[in-house]
Amino acid sequence: MGGNLRAGPDTAPLVEPDLDFIRTLSRGIGENYMKCMQCGTCAATCSLSPEDESFPRKEVIWAAWGWKDRLLGDPDVWLCYQCNDCSTRCPRSAHPGDLLAAVRRESIIHFAYPRFLARWVNDIRYIPLLLAIPVILLGLAWRLSGPLGTALGIPAFTGERIVYSYSNALPHWLLIGFFSVFAVLVLSSMTLSIRRFWRSMRADIVRHGGGVQVKGIRASFVATLKTVFTHDNFAICTTARIKYLSHPCFFFGFLAMSIVALWVVTAGINPLVRDSFIYPFAFWSPWKILANLGGLALVAGCILTIRERLFGTAYNTAGNSYDWSFLVTLILVALTGFLTETLHYFRMEPHRHVVYFVHLVFVFALLVYMPYSKFAHVVYRTTALVLAESFGRKRGAPPVVVDGETEGGGCP
Amino acid sequence: MADKIGVFICTGYGIAEALDVEALVKVVTEERGVPFCRTVESCEGSDLAEIIRDIEAEELDKVVIAGISGRCDEVTVFPANVIVEKVALREHVVWCQPPGEEDTQMLAEDYLRMYIAKIEKMKPVEPFQPEDEIDRTILVVGGGVTGLTSALAAARTGYEVRLVEQADRLGGRLADQYKSVPTRPPYRELEDTGIETLIAEVEGHPRIKVYKSAETGGITGAPGLFDVTLRASGRDRSAPEIVDEFRVGAVVQATGWRPSDPREHLSYGQVPDVILNVDLERMVKEQGRITRPSDGRSVKSIAFIQCGGSRDPDHHSYCSSICCLTSLKQAMYLRESDDQAKAFIFYEFIRTPAQYEDFYRRAQEDPGVFLTRGDVTDVARDDTGDLMVSVNDTMLGEQIRVKVDLVVLAAGMQPNSADGEAIRAFEEAKVTAEDGESEIQRQDAADKVEKLRHHEGTEILNLAYRQGPDLPVLEFGFPDSHFICFPYESRRTGIYPAGAVRQPMDGVASRDDALGAALKAIQCVEMTARGEAVHPRAGDTSHPDFFLQRCTQCKRCTEECPFGVLNEDEKGTPLLEVTRCRRCGVCMGACPERIVSFQDYSVEIVAAMIKAVDVPDEFEEKPRILALMCENDAMPALDLAGRRRLHLNPHVRVVPVRCLGSVNVEWINQAVSMGFDGVLLIGCKYGDDNQCHFIKGSELAHSRGDNIREKLEKMALESQRVELHQFQISDYETLPGIFDDFVEVIEEIGMNPFKGM
Repeated sequence: MGGNLRAGPDTAPLVEPDLDFIRTLSRGIGENYMKCMQCGTCAATCSLSPEDESFPRKEVIWAAWGWKDRLLGDPDVWLCYQCNDCSTRCPRSAHPGDLLAAVRRESIIHFAYPRFLARWVNDIRYIPLLLAIPVILLGLAWRLSGPLGTALGIPAFTGERIVYSYSNALPHWLLIGFFSVFAVLVLSSMTLSIRRFWRSMRADIVRHGGGVQVKGIRASFVATLKTVFTHDNFAICTTARIKYLSHPCFFFGFLAMSIVALWVVTAGINPLVRDSFIYPFAFWSPWKILANLGGLALVAGCILTIRERLFGTAYNTAGNSYDWSFLVTLILVALTGFLTETLHYFRMEPHRHVVYFVHLVFVFALLVYMPYSKFAHVVYRTTALVLAESFGRKRGAPPVVVDGETEGGGCP
Repeated sequence: MADKIGVFICTGYGIAEALDVEALVKVVTEERGVPFCRTVESCEGSDLAEIIRDIEAEELDKVVIAGISGRCDEVTVFPANVIVEKVALREHVVWCQPPGEEDTQMLAEDYLRMYIAKIEKMKPVEPFQPEDEIDRTILVVGGGVTGLTSALAAARTGYEVRLVEQADRLGGRLADQYKSVPTRPPYRELEDTGIETLIAEVEGHPRIKVYKSAETGGITGAPGLFDVTLRASGRDRSAPEIVDEFRVGAVVQATGWRPSDPREHLSYGQVPDVILNVDLERMVKEQGRITRPSDGRSVKSIAFIQCGGSRDPDHHSYCSSICCLTSLKQAMYLRESDDQAKAFIFYEFIRTPAQYEDFYRRAQEDPGVFLTRGDVTDVARDDTGDLMVSVNDTMLGEQIRVKVDLVVLAAGMQPNSADGEAIRAFEEAKVTAEDGESEIQRQDAADKVEKLRHHEGTEILNLAYRQGPDLPVLEFGFPDSHFICFPYESRRTGIYPAGAVRQPMDGVASRDDALGAALKAIQCVEMTARGEAVHPRAGDTSHPDFFLQRCTQCKRCTEECPFGVLNEDEKGTPLLEVTRCRRCGVCMGACPERIVSFQDYSVEIVAAMIKAVDVPDEFEEKPRILALMCENDAMPALDLAGRRRLHLNPHVRVVPVRCLGSVNVEWINQAVSMGFDGVLLIGCKYGDDNQCHFIKGSELAHSRGDNIREKLEKMALESQRVELHQFQISDYETLPGIFDDFVEVIEEIGMNPFKGM
């Protein structure tokens, strides 16, 4: 054949586009990103974009080129809070913000153990199956509670001290035991995922000539927690300003309820627990007040967010089950919780038991499917923030805004 | 019998308020001795009807109407054989001078004198009619999409057409294409080229005669009278086989394009799997699928490299405008063949003009089309035979490599044109190299021969024109006209280049271009039949007359004519082909013997106008400036300046000229010797932003200006007394400044010492 066999530089990365990955990303929320013409307006407008890198423009072209490895290990996509400044200013309506959400979804699926579960959780067709699992498991647990209690030597509930309690149907020990088993599974799965995720991000940072730690992991974690608590990243969002209100509602609401739940769950082994602090609480008990406020905050966060999703212009809501299923699960958990509580106060037997059961099913869906749903962002984002903090990932200077328009950007 | 002249002076338009009309009448009747002069309110509407009644009643032969500019009034048909000249007293005097001043009055009087003098010398115009009848047949050279469309359009309009195609089949490059890019909304799906239908229509049309495997062996004559010899195409030109001989009226040159040869660019020509876009197109057309030339394996991935050898300053420096679309289209071919196939497109700029942007978007949506800007640095073949393409400066933020089965270079378009002027220069140099007068001359000519050798035998039209056998070309070999606002024009009257030979373009644009050229050709034969000039003095029936008894065979006219109108006999005497002429008068400006005249525009007529100016003596301290201004931009700008009431220096006397190229040095000599203090020449821009309507008129005026300045110095006069300005109509606001600055220069160097001599 002959021909020119000049040796090419073999250090440059070989790009082998994954067409299926492109198709996956462009299904649903990311459907517009292929319209990108690489003008760089998104990077110019993004408050996170460092000076020496074009974020999120480069993520959009990586996605268009099906460069899966790059995107899944890219810590930057997790730094984005989807304020949608980029999506509203994109001249091609390519919605880079939505693409990053799709990449985050794919990352969660990619790093998940087991991966099939993650695929189910993010596929609307599997919702009946996913709900059937807790129904069956909880039903089974309820059925077995008597024999199991006898076997374990736990006395049957007498109902003397507390007249109205859910414990007579689903004893606390059973629920605690049930959820503890799944908590262990969730934690193990999450740990495995995060280890892989961390390695992949490390590799990405090293490839970019980083890799030098500027801050210890613990100090970085503390700094990250501060950011998370203060929501200071949300403060710089301009388009999705409402998130600065709605996300703290979610965050602190969920935190409040988690604290109360932890208190209750650990009541048997917690030396601080005295009689007056024992479940079920009186309506005016500080614990009850905290839990109710938390629940209300959660509902408020959900309403604000749903309003933003439905009427805000910056979102692409098309086929975004990743986002919607998490949101709907959250609000259903909160609403069924309140309903259970209300029915309890009105002593409505046996409705309250049915509602309570439904509530538990949604709690299961929220907590047990956490490593596979959007809920996993709690862990992934925190991890990415810790890594960014630790390796000194520079955050961009705030964009210059003149007469409401962002300067800079334009075609490269 | 002397012609009877009449002058009408309008009193309206503020003229009576600003000027002493009685004094004007006195100038006309007493000083110039015009037998008929009357004042009218205006020269429009019922007043104009009155003027026409007077013309008929008084049996006037020549009429001067002093009122408004001829560019402003209504189109009027004056009685046949009456010569009419208009003096723009309103625009050039009243609107730009203070009323009632002495200088204002002097200016108006001078203009009357000048135009009366002019009309005295003017002769009636008889439209040119050759002995033979004008032939209205249209010859189309080239049977590609442009030629076919042009031929069909002309034939459908009712004209006989002869279509010549060098190859043995019609269709040209489009016939090699599998599909065409979308040409109609929503610009998403590939379309059939439609070339078969077009070919069938042309071959079936009763007014079109098609010659295949033929080429133009010679074209003699001029528009309306071109005699064409067709010969069998092929390389043996020593014994050409004559196919046919016939006469046509105009020619459309639609000779198309060929791909530029990016030899050695990115292993092209060395690695068999690096091919050109045209090769891929032909492959898909012929075998319906894409395979690797090296091993015949089915291709699953292609790297398209845009500007493959184009837009490279050392090679092929311009953008061909369609290669980006072609690559996008070919990417679609690949994608349609296999859902997992990958088409990489590397570009510096992706260019999909106008609505084709939608097609670009369509390709962009495809998950198997990968677009990025990037500089392809290397294409290397690995052990498996795959090609590794290395790309720098990508939008992915780094250098990358991709592995592909095939590399396609998006080669640019080169016109299938011939540089007529270079061929002539080559032939002349060959003669000089043989029998030049000195050794140095022979050596220079031999060097020139080497430099121009690549033009040898490249003739296409084989025109019998003194200035060369083909259309003159501009940059990159495109035979465009350089008429800034007029596509389809060329520098040879009656020969219109169209399609990709004129400018890189796609099939859609070629069809449009073909229609334009067909219309131009039709316009040419029709106007020529009426004895009228074509663009840009469309409709002008005057024509040049050479008083050959006084010709010294200096060849300046035959050399300088921008349109190759003049051939030569063996001695070098110009042979005039009137129907080639655009009536610019460049020959008139060139001739040192002043033997070239038009009936209504000549050295004598303009000289009379200059002579009619009343130049005050040096003690009056009123300088006089002669401004020779081009009718295309400068004169309308003067009207505009008046309309905007800009104050113009009253010492300037303006004489309109057809083109600065028509300015004869004699006029300047005369002006200077009769006491004019300076001469302004205001014409169109030349050089890179050439706007001269006659291609090189203002440039010629500039180079002739050097002679003029030399002459002035010989007369012991300052060379600053002649100034040349490049001007465009939108510059009209600067006109007062040009006049004032020049008067200032003159005042500085002092009055012309020849005054009153």
